[in-house]
Amino acid sequence: MTTLEIKDLGVHLGSREVLRNLTLTIPSGSFAALLGPSGCGKTTLLRTIAGLVRPSSGAIRFGKQLVSVSSLVLPPHKRNIGYLPQEGGLFPHLSVGENVGFALSKHVSDVDRSLVIEEMLELVGLSGYAARKPHQLSGGQQTRVALARALAIRPAIVLLDEPFSNLDHALRADVSVEVVSLLKKSKTTSLMVTHDREDALVSADLIALMRDGQVVQSGTPEDVYMDPASADIAESTGDILELPARRLMKNRAKLLSPLHLLSGKTSGELEAGSILIRPEEIRVHQKKAGLPKAKITQINYYGHDALLELALPGYSKEIKVRVTGPLQFEVGKTVALEHVGPIRWVSKKPTGE
Amino acid sequence: MTIIGQRNVSQTNGAKQRGAPSLALIAAGLFTLAAAALPVAYLIRRALQIDSNLLRTVLFRAKTLEILITTISLVLAVVALATLIGVSIAWALSNVDLPGVALLRALVILPVAIPSYVFTYSWLSLEFLPNGFFATLVVLTLTTTPYVTLAALAAFRRIDGAQLDVAQTLGLNQLESFFRVTLPQIRNAVGAGALIVALYVLSDFGAVSLLGVDTFTRAIQNTYQGSFDRSSAALLALILVAISSLVIYFEISFRQRSTLLKSSVRITKRLPALRSLKSKAWALSAILLYIFVALLTPLLVLLQRFFSRVTPIDLTELLIASLSTISVSLFGALIAMVLAVPVALLAVRETWIGTWSERAILLVHALPGIVMGLALVSFGSEFPLVYQTTGLLAFAYSILFLARSVGSIRTSFAKVPINLTEIASTLGQTKARIFYRVTLPLAAPGVLTGTLLVFLSAMKELPATLMLRPTGFETLATEIWNNTAIFRFSEAAPYALLLVAIAAIPTFLISRPDRDSERGELQ
Repeated sequence: MTTLEIKDLGVHLGSREVLRNLTLTIPSGSFAALLGPSGCGKTTLLRTIAGLVRPSSGAIRFGKQLVSVSSLVLPPHKRNIGYLPQEGGLFPHLSVGENVGFALSKHVSDVDRSLVIEEMLELVGLSGYAARKPHQLSGGQQTRVALARALAIRPAIVLLDEPFSNLDHALRADVSVEVVSLLKKSKTTSLMVTHDREDALVSADLIALMRDGQVVQSGTPEDVYMDPASADIAESTGDILELPARRLMKNRAKLLSPLHLLSGKTSGELEAGSILIRPEEIRVHQKKAGLPKAKITQINYYGHDALLELALPGYSKEIKVRVTGPLQFEVGKTVALEHVGPIRWVSKKPTGE
Repeated sequence: MTIIGQRNVSQTNGAKQRGAPSLALIAAGLFTLAAAALPVAYLIRRALQIDSNLLRTVLFRAKTLEILITTISLVLAVVALATLIGVSIAWALSNVDLPGVALLRALVILPVAIPSYVFTYSWLSLEFLPNGFFATLVVLTLTTTPYVTLAALAAFRRIDGAQLDVAQTLGLNQLESFFRVTLPQIRNAVGAGALIVALYVLSDFGAVSLLGVDTFTRAIQNTYQGSFDRSSAALLALILVAISSLVIYFEISFRQRSTLLKSSVRITKRLPALRSLKSKAWALSAILLYIFVALLTPLLVLLQRFFSRVTPIDLTELLIASLSTISVSLFGALIAMVLAVPVALLAVRETWIGTWSERAILLVHALPGIVMGLALVSFGSEFPLVYQTTGLLAFAYSILFLARSVGSIRTSFAKVPINLTEIASTLGQTKARIFYRVTLPLAAPGVLTGTLLVFLSAMKELPATLMLRPTGFETLATEIWNNTAIFRFSEAAPYALLLVAIAAIPTFLISRPDRDSERGELQ
């Protein structure tokens, strides 16, 4: 039961500023995901929380305990954290049981030790594997042993650094769901670094989006998906269309854009800006009057849904629209588009890519 | 797979990420540096006492130039030949599908167990063979080739066969892919092996003195023994130090810095084995020829001498000499281990103490045993407590052969993934406990190999042993020398055979491929 609180954290690696003024709070017992492009400082943040990297400024608090203030830090071995690095990082010279019991104090009796090891292995569904060596396990099993090892010390906070990156796609979903549900059940505050948006959206209670060494937005998966702070940030949780638009200063619900054909006369001053639209927020009609027409240029069929690419008059790039159900479209046909989602207005004129 | 491999590499090679060394480690490193600097300091002190007349006569006489030319030609020729033969043998063993490859691998390394003076003595026993430069070249090439073979074998094992497939799809033929894909990846290892060969030749005493070739080592020995002129001997030794520095500098500049994909790349595919009868026949006959010349011939000569001797074997003397050899060499190897571990740890962190200790150790490695002997005799005369003790002799061994162990110990520490030590620290372990529970167990095979190399070299060492042993203390090496020096070849044979037999044990252990790493790579 520990809240993780990070305030104004700054980290320099050599002369490079990797994190700056980073502030983030993860409520006790929740599972948070750090999402961002590679090189944005996700892993550095995790390593700083673990105590493996010394920050240059800011404070980190585990509950009431201050573990790091400016460059004064508590060494990693005194932080009581569980750390799952990429690929698990099991000690190759030790058996599964010895790995799990690695952190148990010397003073623990052999009986207690094997009890804890057995309990932890049972928790991750690997009872009876204690005598094996890591190289005899599959990738998914290695990850679960690494989790058992991290949980054996009853950590205040568990940190996961892309723990599933070495698993193949099919296995990955299973292991990830399993690990996350174990962590949630144990009510341990957890923070996972990932670059897989689906991983983050599915598993996390809280998503923190990072860009250039800062947390630019954090919130529930639905919050950050539905209400992104900018087009750039929206990209990290899914495809986004940034469409140039204008709106009436008087009546802000009235929009004018290649997707929104304003009927009747428009009077009054227009404000320039753009709107952000997710691919599933546009409905495609075979034929419907009063709606803008677009021509299908490409269809990417995924089975459970499909992504249409369309040429929309008045807009220079292709726009993407997600459609579900049986595919009723073909390339070259003209269809009618209707924007059905919320209006996310971005005031500044887009600089364009 | 490759991407995962690359990530591993960036984690294992980051010297900066390993954190600053502790004070205790720095102190231990400085101690080793001081110990290694001891003989060089002695030389400088001696040489400073020379008056300028003597300096001029020693430096500018024609004889010195002649010695210089002989020494350098010998080093270059032996290095070139040993590299060529060693890389060829290693290539054949790694790339051709040969029967009994494990046995062959052990047999091509085994000549290391034969000291150069034993080899020379068997050479001289076959009276139709010539003396002189050519003979020395052959003897030293045959005895030092295994150092290159060993390094190249290890390097070939680290090459991913999939790379050669890719090279072929890109239109390279076999020869081209050897030069453009394989060679760049083994060059550092081969360079390190060649350096050991060069330093071996610079400091060799047995072959050159028995075959009468005037290199610096022999000149130092003669100057000292002929006239007890320690100052001139020290001056000559300093010239030798200068040559060694040059050799070490060459090796450093030859080394390619941190070729990405270095230490823990996963091998996705073994090297493809050539299966054609022609390539098998060629490879096998070349390897067998080397084994015949470098291993079987000297052994057969020794056996022939052994059975043709007239005096009975003194079993007690043989046993005592064996026990003395084993105990003092083992002692030296253990001291070397204690001295080498801190240097290796500091070198992995790329600190200046580590780098300079490593260089000093290499420099000392090129010193002839007699110079080490002289330095420690002078040191011992100031500390009578240690003078003429086996402890001082063991210390001499450890300093002389530290270079052999530091390399393999450093490599094995560098291979310990940083993320494992980091995880251990998040699991509540202090630095000291991480070292004992994670780093050391993972590096243990390399530490053991390095220590065995010192053990092996110490067993074969002769000149320093002759100078530093306590009175009446006989090792197998000194017994062989006592007998061959007065041409009692047959009486030396039992000692020589026994020495080779005992030395074969660590040699065999060293030549085995590192099974742990193979298991990790080929899972």
